[in-house]
Amino acid sequence: MVTTESPVRTASPVPAPERSAAVVHAPAGRAPTVRGRLTASLRHTPGRLALWMTVLVALALLAGVAAVTGVRQRAAHLDALADRNGPLTVASLDLYRALSDADATAASAFLSGGLEPAALRDRYQADIAESGRALTVLGAGLDGDGAQHLAVLNSRLPVYTGLIETARSLNRQGLPVGAAYLREANGLMRAELLPAAQGVYDAAAADLRDSRSGGGAAPWLAVLLCLGVIAALVVVQRRLAALTNRVFNAGLLVATGAAVLLTLWLGVSAVAAGVSLNAGREQGSDQVDRMAQVRIDALQARTDEALTLVARGGGAAFETHYAETLDGITRDGGALDEIRAHATGVDDPHLAVVDRAADAWLAAHRDVRTRDGGGDYTGAVEVTLGGAASEFAAFDSALGAAITADSDVFAARADDAGGALRFGDLGAGALTAAMIAGIVIGVQRRRAEYR
Amino acid sequence: MNKRLVLGTLLLTAVLAGCATGDGGLPDVRVGAGAPLPVGAQDPAPSASAAPGAAQNCDPRASLRPPASLPAANGMPSGGTLAAIQARGKLIAGVDQNSYRFGFRDPLTGELSGFDIDIAKQVAKAIFGDENKIQYKTVTSATRIDAVRNGEVDLVVETMTMNCERWQQVSFSSEYFTAGQRVLVHRGSGITGMDGLAGKKVCAAAGSTSIRNIAAHAARPVPVAVAGWTDCLVMLQQGQVEAVSTDDSILAGLAAQDPNTEVVGDAFTVEPYGIAIRKENADLVRFVNGVLENVRTDGTWTRLYRTWLTALSTDTPTPPPAKYQD
Repeated sequence: MVTTESPVRTASPVPAPERSAAVVHAPAGRAPTVRGRLTASLRHTPGRLALWMTVLVALALLAGVAAVTGVRQRAAHLDALADRNGPLTVASLDLYRALSDADATAASAFLSGGLEPAALRDRYQADIAESGRALTVLGAGLDGDGAQHLAVLNSRLPVYTGLIETARSLNRQGLPVGAAYLREANGLMRAELLPAAQGVYDAAAADLRDSRSGGGAAPWLAVLLCLGVIAALVVVQRRLAALTNRVFNAGLLVATGAAVLLTLWLGVSAVAAGVSLNAGREQGSDQVDRMAQVRIDALQARTDEALTLVARGGGAAFETHYAETLDGITRDGGALDEIRAHATGVDDPHLAVVDRAADAWLAAHRDVRTRDGGGDYTGAVEVTLGGAASEFAAFDSALGAAITADSDVFAARADDAGGALRFGDLGAGALTAAMIAGIVIGVQRRRAEYR
Repeated sequence: MNKRLVLGTLLLTAVLAGCATGDGGLPDVRVGAGAPLPVGAQDPAPSASAAPGAAQNCDPRASLRPPASLPAANGMPSGGTLAAIQARGKLIAGVDQNSYRFGFRDPLTGELSGFDIDIAKQVAKAIFGDENKIQYKTVTSATRIDAVRNGEVDLVVETMTMNCERWQQVSFSSEYFTAGQRVLVHRGSGITGMDGLAGKKVCAAAGSTSIRNIAAHAARPVPVAVAGWTDCLVMLQQGQVEAVSTDDSILAGLAAQDPNTEVVGDAFTVEPYGIAIRKENADLVRFVNGVLENVRTDGTWTRLYRTWLTALSTDTPTPPPAKYQD
């Protein structure tokens, strides 16, 4: 038979000797000390009940605070992942790409001789504008190491563009010293700007990893505290049952239920968020990393291709670097094979174009080398600015489209992970309130019976 | 009472949950200023080993005597270097693309042009009857001797001073131009020569005779080495060096690109220019000397000087005479 609220006032729940002991211990004729009164009251059942209640409420509060703050922290990490870290990583890749493309374009424009083609000038200007945009976004979101690299970029990019414009105006006057300014600018790009842009990317990627591990962290502390609350509630309920001969206390049962619910929800939501995050990493950010690296390498190779001709016979180092880079990208088991092995489905159509364009670019490059090696310098320049340029552009934009597609997958999974914790802090707060209310009401009812 | 407790608990939970973590610290970053160094520049230049005791008792101007008459174009004697070049179909010439008026890339056309380039074309014309059967490879002062020795190029025509030390590594043609080392500074700098540059930075190309002459000068200037001559002008314009010091012929080309600079002081060295050729290819040396004889006597030399080098002096000098060791 289940009786929860039938008051039994017939028998005194506490043995008589215990109740009188406190009175006996108080020294006659003197006011009882605070400590004495506390000890005394604990000997009474109502006092003991008050202690149990205080301990239970404190435990429940602790567990609740741990759960709520934990959920809020993880939700904040996940929000940052989708709204901040993802876009920041993309912006750092955009920055690197824009800078190397500006450099490759400037070298190509120089190759063409005389007035630079308007299309190349436009492309260079678009790259510089894009660098400025990416730098602004990154400046608002990165600190620490990232900020140091950004400071280098912000202070040196104007120096770079200044050198390029000097080279350009000297070129227009027909003075060969313009080429020396272009070389100095290229050296600045390779020695300072691109390494700093790489540092920015590394910092953004590290922040993203931090957010991911923060968002996917298992809420061990909160779960342990909740289990502690459940255990304490069970113990108190058994003692209470022994004291009062009543098996169930509605308030404490509600509190226990709330504690169990909170524990389960903490576990389930953490697993769900973890699954989404893992999917986002495997189908999104890992693949984006791989493709971004290939894109950056290819841009370097494109600059090498132009600089080999600018150096005019003295560019063996550039050509060697080009050959090594393209081999790393296109050989069996190379970077492109690796990317194809991890194809996510959404990037498949773009990857097919990437493959085709890589082969065509390599073929055009061999044509360039054959012409240059055979003494047809003008023809080599024509192919570099024509066929090789358009095949490279196809390769680069298809890779860019694949990166965008997989970035979207990552953003969606990060959003899913955030969804698993949505309103989690309110829910955890409500369950904590239910626990505490249950404990207070349940124990107070019993205490009231002693008045 | 219960209601108050519950309410209080809720409030406490809400306050604790509302605790936001945030740091508003601004980044503390450091950046460097100043113009970047040109690629390959060394400031200060590593001390050049001045090849102690390297056969100084030679006449660097004395080359190999040409044959009495040159073979006709496309009729090179079989079995020699010349036949190999003819079979290849083009002459491979190592040249500079950073010496205005001698060997430079014309920004308007993208073509290599200059006095040295035209001299090389004369050699191609003598072999093939077509001055355009030539492939240029740009080499720097630091790499040109290796390029000749390992056969990467047939010859180097690049404002190259003949001296006894280099004669041990390569052969030279007869002298085709005479230069002397001077100093290029900003107009109005008050510097009138190397003596005014004590402790100051002075630029020259790595591997050139000029950089050694700077390091060895009694005024003790600080040599700064770069890859190409125009890099020196960049560093002068950016205030990274006080002066450029090399052959007057090269300095005139730099001064022509910046009216704010001027060549000052007297020439303190004599630099006879020759075409460098691999030691084993004596037949090519003799052939090139034959070509140069024609260039001197048929008016080509004077025409080329007037095309490219009037900035050096308005009255055209006579071409330097050839000297032979045999």
